[in-house]
Amino acid sequence: MAETRPSLLDADAMLGRHPRRDVGGGTVRELLAALDRVGIAEAVVAGMTAWLHDPRLGNAQVLDLVADQPRLHPCWVMLPGGCDELGPGFVQEAVAGGVRAVRAFPRDHGYRLDGVEAAEVLRALARARLPLLVDAPQADWASIESIAAAHPELRIVVGSAGYRMLRQIAGVLDRRPNVYLGTADLSSHCGLEWLVARYGAGRIVFGTGQPYRDPAEAVTRLLWSELGDPDVAAIGRGIL
Amino acid sequence: MNETARAVWERRPQRVTRIVDAHAHAGPYSLFFIPEADPAAMIRVMDRCGVAHAVFSSHLSIQLDAAAGNAATAAIVAEAPDRFTGYLTVNPWQDPVAELERWGGDRRFGGIKIHPDLHEYPLDGSRYGPVWEFAALTGCPVLTHTFAGSPYNDIPTLDAVAERHPEATILAGHSGVTPLGLDQAIEVAERRPRVILEVCGSHNSGADIARMVARVGPDRVVYGSDFPFIDLRMSLGRVLFSDLTDNDRAAVLGGTISGLLEWR
Repeated sequence: MAETRPSLLDADAMLGRHPRRDVGGGTVRELLAALDRVGIAEAVVAGMTAWLHDPRLGNAQVLDLVADQPRLHPCWVMLPGGCDELGPGFVQEAVAGGVRAVRAFPRDHGYRLDGVEAAEVLRALARARLPLLVDAPQADWASIESIAAAHPELRIVVGSAGYRMLRQIAGVLDRRPNVYLGTADLSSHCGLEWLVARYGAGRIVFGTGQPYRDPAEAVTRLLWSELGDPDVAAIGRGIL
Repeated sequence: MNETARAVWERRPQRVTRIVDAHAHAGPYSLFFIPEADPAAMIRVMDRCGVAHAVFSSHLSIQLDAAAGNAATAAIVAEAPDRFTGYLTVNPWQDPVAELERWGGDRRFGGIKIHPDLHEYPLDGSRYGPVWEFAALTGCPVLTHTFAGSPYNDIPTLDAVAERHPEATILAGHSGVTPLGLDQAIEVAERRPRVILEVCGSHNSGADIARMVARVGPDRVVYGSDFPFIDLRMSLGRVLFSDLTDNDRAAVLGGTISGLLEWR
């Protein structure tokens, strides 16, 4: 079976400790061990520091942490441009640093994803072909649809959709081809198969949400899905 | 990688152990869309993964009407008795005594389900009295929803009920759900020998499950999925890839709940 095993790229991983859950030390070594435990090949990782303390510092740290790790790829955290916290060259610096995607936490960082202040950053991300990752609890679906319409070249991956959102998800995926779903906590019963049947495997991006979430969830959900091997491989590769 | 996890990676059903899902439902649920909530699709998913059996309460029974829902549960079990056992749902507002009298002797039911959050009635309320009386008299296990911080079924309330009814076997559904709830549920299970930790929910992990087993033993921890409320594979994956011995994993996946169902 080894030659047919899909290679999984986790698009939704983080490094660092979590203040409200024991996830261990959040070190590179621990993350690599977690990947090995469930069989994931590579991961795109952001820093807990960038999410839960200081985006500028966390973004810089994550570049250093993954610099000599061929299985790990950096992800940065954006802020809106109004206060110039990350500087006008944020996106160019991300590209120069090898960043594979940018995450947004509009709820936790206190701004509107569809606001004027974020629009310039989103335009720059679209120009640079850098995908935007945002967890569903961080922004309502109307905001996600709004930015998808305003920035049709921007690929937006929505993670942590849970099991209660298909009624909201379906319309947005129908109308906005640049909206994708991550598999972290994509947990509707038979929902993965239903989504792939309607929108194709190309709209689903493998991610685990680790270390807050157990990566075994997303691995088991995908590999034990009722999807064919080509769809599983496509989802496992993702768009990052 | 253990043999069950290897089966996941080889994309074939596991055949290593008899998996019994201790926390399932069936049918539609109005709060959100479930693509295939019917028992036939449930069996298809079980077969995909190698899950032998599920103990369930119909969504109708917990959400709207205990009497009609328990009849629906019984009908589903009658159609596939080798795959399903029912939980008899008791809604404290819908004549608990009548439901226990109607179904308590029916072998299609292997346990009682109560959901204080959904029914907005506290786990330690007197309307649940007939449930605890029945459980103490017969050994029938009671699966209760739990959620840390809930005004109806938080873990301290579970602790108080378990202290008050030491003869009752209580499955703590979700084991409190949140990281704090999981910690509290383990502590209660250490104090109350008939409290069983059931592991489905959106915040549990394989590390938490291994910690549960280390603290209270594999005979006090049971796998459940909550499917089709939540996909069966989310909770199952945590157990399959967790750092448990093969024997402990087999107990959590099915051995422990199978023993608890043998009370008649």
